[in-house]
Amino acid sequence: MNQKVVHLLCIVVLCISLTGCWSSRELSELAIATALGIDKHEDGYKLTVQIMNPGEIAGRQLTTRAVVTTYSTTGKTIFEALRRLTTITPRKIYLAHLRIIIFGQELMEEEGLANSLDFISRDHELRTDFSLAIAKDMSAEDLIKVLTPIEKVPADKIFSSLKTSQDNWAPTKVVMLDELISSLTSPGKQAVLTGLYISGKPETGNHIENVQQVDSPAKVHLDHIGVFKGDKLVGWLNESESKGFNYITDNVLNTVGWVECDQTGTISVEVFKSNTKLTGLADNGTPKITIDVKSEASIGEVACQIDINDEKKLTEIEQKLEKKIEEIVNGSIAKAKEFNSDIFGFGDVLRRFEPKKWETWKENWSEEFQNIEITVNADMKIRRTGTTTESFIGKIEQKKEKDE
Amino acid sequence: MSRFKIFNTLKDNKETVDKISDDNNKSLHKDISKNISEVKQMLGNSFDIVTREIKIGETNSIEAVVIYTDGLVDKDLVHNYVLETLMIDVRKAESEKKINSDQELYNFIKNSTLTTVELKEIDIFPDLYHHLLSGDTIVLLNGFPKGFAVGSRGWEDRGVQEPSSQQVVRGPKDAFTETLRTNTALIRRRIKDPNLWIETQKIGKKTQTDVAIAYINGLVTEDIVLEVKQRLNKIDIDSILESGYIEELIQDEAYTPFPTMYNSERPDSISAGLLEGRVAILVDGTPFVLLVPALFIDFFQSSEDYYQRSDIGSLIRLLRFFAFFLALLTPSAYIALTTFHQEMIPTTLLTSIAAQREGVPFPAFIEALIMEITFEILREAGVRLPRAVGSAISIVGALVLGQAAVEAGIVSATMVIVVSLTAISSFVSPTYNMAISVRMLRFGFMILAATFGLYGIILGLILMVLHLTGLRSFGIPYLSPMAPLAVGEQKDALIRAPLWMQTRRPKLISQKDKIREKTEKPKPTRQ
Repeated sequence: MNQKVVHLLCIVVLCISLTGCWSSRELSELAIATALGIDKHEDGYKLTVQIMNPGEIAGRQLTTRAVVTTYSTTGKTIFEALRRLTTITPRKIYLAHLRIIIFGQELMEEEGLANSLDFISRDHELRTDFSLAIAKDMSAEDLIKVLTPIEKVPADKIFSSLKTSQDNWAPTKVVMLDELISSLTSPGKQAVLTGLYISGKPETGNHIENVQQVDSPAKVHLDHIGVFKGDKLVGWLNESESKGFNYITDNVLNTVGWVECDQTGTISVEVFKSNTKLTGLADNGTPKITIDVKSEASIGEVACQIDINDEKKLTEIEQKLEKKIEEIVNGSIAKAKEFNSDIFGFGDVLRRFEPKKWETWKENWSEEFQNIEITVNADMKIRRTGTTTESFIGKIEQKKEKDE
Repeated sequence: MSRFKIFNTLKDNKETVDKISDDNNKSLHKDISKNISEVKQMLGNSFDIVTREIKIGETNSIEAVVIYTDGLVDKDLVHNYVLETLMIDVRKAESEKKINSDQELYNFIKNSTLTTVELKEIDIFPDLYHHLLSGDTIVLLNGFPKGFAVGSRGWEDRGVQEPSSQQVVRGPKDAFTETLRTNTALIRRRIKDPNLWIETQKIGKKTQTDVAIAYINGLVTEDIVLEVKQRLNKIDIDSILESGYIEELIQDEAYTPFPTMYNSERPDSISAGLLEGRVAILVDGTPFVLLVPALFIDFFQSSEDYYQRSDIGSLIRLLRFFAFFLALLTPSAYIALTTFHQEMIPTTLLTSIAAQREGVPFPAFIEALIMEITFEILREAGVRLPRAVGSAISIVGALVLGQAAVEAGIVSATMVIVVSLTAISSFVSPTYNMAISVRMLRFGFMILAATFGLYGIILGLILMVLHLTGLRSFGIPYLSPMAPLAVGEQKDALIRAPLWMQTRRPKLISQKDKIREKTEKPKPTRQ
């Protein structure tokens, strides 16, 4: 019996010493951070944290107090700044529910990403399912302060519009921590981050009136993809180039494209399926990349006179679309060459197809990247034509003619 | 003065007790008046003991006495078949010169007069007292150091009614009663097999309670019957008032929160148990019959599972296991998630939980404890209060208290949901004693969750499973057929397979006569 008790005590003591998650924290002791902004500051870094006020989001009696609060502080390091925040926040900042981390453009251009990223990947409290972005032409602090309509928590708004636009329109990219670090460290690939900016009147953004009006004076926009070289931001891709980037990296889930008709007017198609295959080849010592984009689309809008029941016409449209995709893709590549940054990971592709040659190119990859020969083959198939066949626009035209 | 008197009485009592133990096998006297006075003295002249002195024979030559306990006997029977026959039939026979000696008279009374089925000759006082107090009628004749105990038991009882626990929608609605004989009859009515054997013995020095062991010979493993008998024989107690006494005195493991003996007031589930080769222990004075060996899964099975279609029965069984874990772990999981692992809650859910927790003055553990204890109090009050008030109190108490506490900001609304879910889940268990175990363990898990978080809960679950695997019920592993795994018996464990599939009896419980049935899968017969 005595031995039993001793054994039991041993088990209990071991259990206590083994436990990893030791200290408990009540929910009401936590300040749940939803967004983190990191800017350059003369002292080192300026850290802005957006904290949600749960009572205003889901409480039983909602008041007119803001749903989020931001606090800013500076510090030599990010970790220091974060802890210094406790001098102005009522509770300890809890980072596990972070939705987005925004870096100021200045910081990205001058100091780079690497130093600020270490804390984020090292701290145990952070999950890795938040997305990262850059505040374009402004400080992260200003961007975090904007109140958004519909989604009460601004960070949620940014996170969900990043995701929705990536899935339905394709000029943005949700970049998570793991992916960012792997492209920063890979020798054959450069990193990208989506850019965010405020349109309208940025100064009204942090007032409650920004969400009281039907048309918010300050809106958060996201397009443009920031191109990195090493860990420094070197430039931006515009909307069409961003789309081209997503075509090349096989990141298009669904998007819309248009082409001109034979006569005046346009035809829009919805690309609902797109696969891209990259193949690398060493041709007499020059790196060669073939990009095969295979897309399927359905006709979404016909704003001209065209008989879409005619198979030939459809083939014509397909060819035009293929050409357009090739243009977009080439434009994107040209821009990347301009920045001399291999954001598409062509280096990685070549490493896979030509491992031996890659070893010789690796040292001088930024020069080799300029010389790379690229062939783009787009293949577009129109699968559906929508719920109507011939557009009624033709009939209207005929009626006009009769009236005349 | 008065104190002195009390002291004296106590002393007298002590002497009486000593006397009883001395006279353990004291024989009856020849002299009837001596016998009467001894009985009267022994029973303290209790007013419910009726002694009727009569004289029988043509010449009223023989003194006799009829003794019975009022209230325990069927009075009609005593009048018609004891007094009438003694006083009239004996006289007739004597006038026809059939009886010549006293000995002949004694035999005549024994063989031809007392027209009842049960008749026993008694010659020692302890037997006399036992029969007298069990409701038999005692007949003593002057000049004989022996007498008769006439079976005349017939007292007021409740009659067979609907069970108050373990109710079913479909299935028999009769329940055991407080009378042992009725209960054995209820089982006999279901199993008309000569191999259904019922043995009785008396347990309890003062209560002399009849305890019956029922089993089907040929199905049951003899070792289990032997074990039951041995354990029952070891009981040395003055009183058995309910089968719970027996359960506590003969269970395998004294210190366990889990019941290792099944009890039911439903004759159909006890009969089903017997047909699987189990042993039933019936105790006089209670409608709750014990069934051994009992397995963990038995406590999640209702007899209705077998009366409804098998798919419904299976789903409901799975639901019960799910509810078991809900009842056990909901409050502790809530505590662990909200105080240790906030990162595991989806952000939107965390927001609404956090919004409700704003302004709640207590830590989540204290909050949970307050609500759980309040609910336990309400439930206990609901059970003990008079039926008319009970349900009203429990409903109103829970509603009003829950709502008011939330509105006053003392507890959060989520906590009320957690507690209600727990409470409802604990009522799903078809057996009350497993539900009580869960109620008890829940608090342990809450403490573990408050100190170690989910880690503590997992630790607690591991300990619980270790304990469960170590348990035995009359030698049968408690967790079988899961541990040890018996693949064939999964047909009637977590799920309930169609009856035509369950061809064999549970292997561990009965190793004899394994084939239960040979019915084929039902299909239309071609003409």
